[in-house]
Amino acid sequence: MQQFVVLKKENFDAFISSLAQTQKVVAPVSRGYNNFSFQEVISGKEISLKYIPTILPPKKYFLPPRETLTAYNKRENALNAILEYEKMVIFGVHTCDLAGIQCLNMVFVDKPKDINYIIRKNKIAIIGLECNDYCDEYASCCVVENHLPNGGYDLFFTDLGDAFIVHINTMLGEELVSKAAVFKPADAKTLKSLESLRQMKRSIFKDEVNVKHENLKILFDSAFESKVWEDLNKRCVACGNCTNVCPTCYCFDIIDEPNLDLNTGVRYRNWDSCQNEPFAKVAGNENFRKERSQRQRHRYMRKFKYPVDKYSRYFCTGCGRCSRTCMAKIKLKETINDLAKETK
Amino acid sequence: MSKPKVAFFDFSCCEGCQLQVANFGEALLDILGLIDVVMFREVMSEKSEVYDVAIVEGSITTTHDVERIKKIRATAKVLIAYGSCATIGGINGMKNNFDLEDIKQYVYKQDAKYFETIPTHPLHKIVKVDYFVHGCPVYQPEFVKVLKCALAGLSYVVPDYAVCVECRFNENVCMFDKGISCMGPVTRAGCNSWCINNGNICYGCRGMVSNPAKNGQMDILKKHNISLDWVENKMNMYNKPRELDIDEQKHKG
Repeated sequence: MQQFVVLKKENFDAFISSLAQTQKVVAPVSRGYNNFSFQEVISGKEISLKYIPTILPPKKYFLPPRETLTAYNKRENALNAILEYEKMVIFGVHTCDLAGIQCLNMVFVDKPKDINYIIRKNKIAIIGLECNDYCDEYASCCVVENHLPNGGYDLFFTDLGDAFIVHINTMLGEELVSKAAVFKPADAKTLKSLESLRQMKRSIFKDEVNVKHENLKILFDSAFESKVWEDLNKRCVACGNCTNVCPTCYCFDIIDEPNLDLNTGVRYRNWDSCQNEPFAKVAGNENFRKERSQRQRHRYMRKFKYPVDKYSRYFCTGCGRCSRTCMAKIKLKETINDLAKETK
Repeated sequence: MSKPKVAFFDFSCCEGCQLQVANFGEALLDILGLIDVVMFREVMSEKSEVYDVAIVEGSITTTHDVERIKKIRATAKVLIAYGSCATIGGINGMKNNFDLEDIKQYVYKQDAKYFETIPTHPLHKIVKVDYFVHGCPVYQPEFVKVLKCALAGLSYVVPDYAVCVECRFNENVCMFDKGISCMGPVTRAGCNSWCINNGNICYGCRGMVSNPAKNGQMDILKKHNISLDWVENKMNMYNKPRELDIDEQKHKG
């Protein structure tokens, strides 16, 4: 079995179209103003192969912004589980977002297992797409070591000009390739081109902040009392954009809503955010994180400290979305450098 | 069990929010299966002195209004403030930017002496309000949610976070990315970013979140070369009567 195969560019459209005939295919699509989003496509022509990270990460397919969990019937005293899932292929997932999905998998497969998430995840095929260069100045994928592929996909596409070289990583990936019947085995020359592309990437991608990968955690271990958070307090408007676009933020709220008959109803969950005012509010109107500085600090700690303690992994994927979307121009790279300056 | 009697009332407003109910279409039939509408000036001629639920549009702008809303409150078991004029003072609140005498002169000229007026008040400044349906106009799905809560005896909590939250869920391109200013970051959600989904900006019609980052928002707007006066106007378009709430909080300490 070949680990690497080749897809000629002229066959790309045929590949996507044939996939879309048997299942839902989603891929990055241009939305104008240099914005992109994962959307359903039926042909390869709709796909933006060169894109900066989408408004929302592919997280939205694994953990939808709103998801019904149960339906209840008061009169019958019944509560029935509801599973919302759909078989689909996500095409064009960058390495940062592959890392994001890996993080979510760790969280939701860990106890208590999230059955809805696990069932949905198992219906989704993932096709990665390599970034040959930086997407823009907000990315910090190298310092968190996500600029090169590190698993988490069924197939992985690398653009080599007139063709893609494709890494087959799973049985499912192999099935997709053999069904499409447009892939050819990769010859030595193509493999060599892939190797030289990776070599070139090692010279392009450099640590984006003044802190080494292994020292990020140490930096955040002692960052709790930092003055840097006070500066963020003045600027942050608590719009929640940074967490809602984050590939590894997974907090949710659970809400019951009656139907019009007032007897039946549904329980659903929707994304919540530590940036929102009511997030840490408890009975008696006490708020554990009333200040926006505390909320921002919490967000950073949830990327660079707490998950490292629990899962031994940074939950920042380096995608840069939080900085890109922030209206107050709070930039992750700046915050890290400011923290580093302080400790010197 | 007989259906709860529901009456609609209006004070200073355009009655556009009530039109949202009239415009419900087929969904209205389901709602009418649940309630008995006994008074609704916009769609029927019948009147009633007896009602369980009062749905009140409009803000309080005269002493006569004050008496009338107190009477409605005394009759209704449940009072729903309906639409921005009722919940936050809304557009009518712009009046509070000026001297009341000047306003009367400007509007009524030589007849000004025949009219009395007081600063614009949202309903909750005069009477106890059980439910709030914000918006100019109200967002129909939210009204249905509130109605269900009111009839089921559940509380409805208006989201106390920014419109941006729902706007991101809907994956809209940010207005600021398009070079257009937007009040989303300081305006409370619950409308499912209705305007932005349809290509418009957020005007802040639902009122501000409880703890708006005014300085942060000003900085953002200033960065986009928008003059301070204009920003202030933008903030006050719907939210001027908010000062009444802030004064009260200060008074309480």
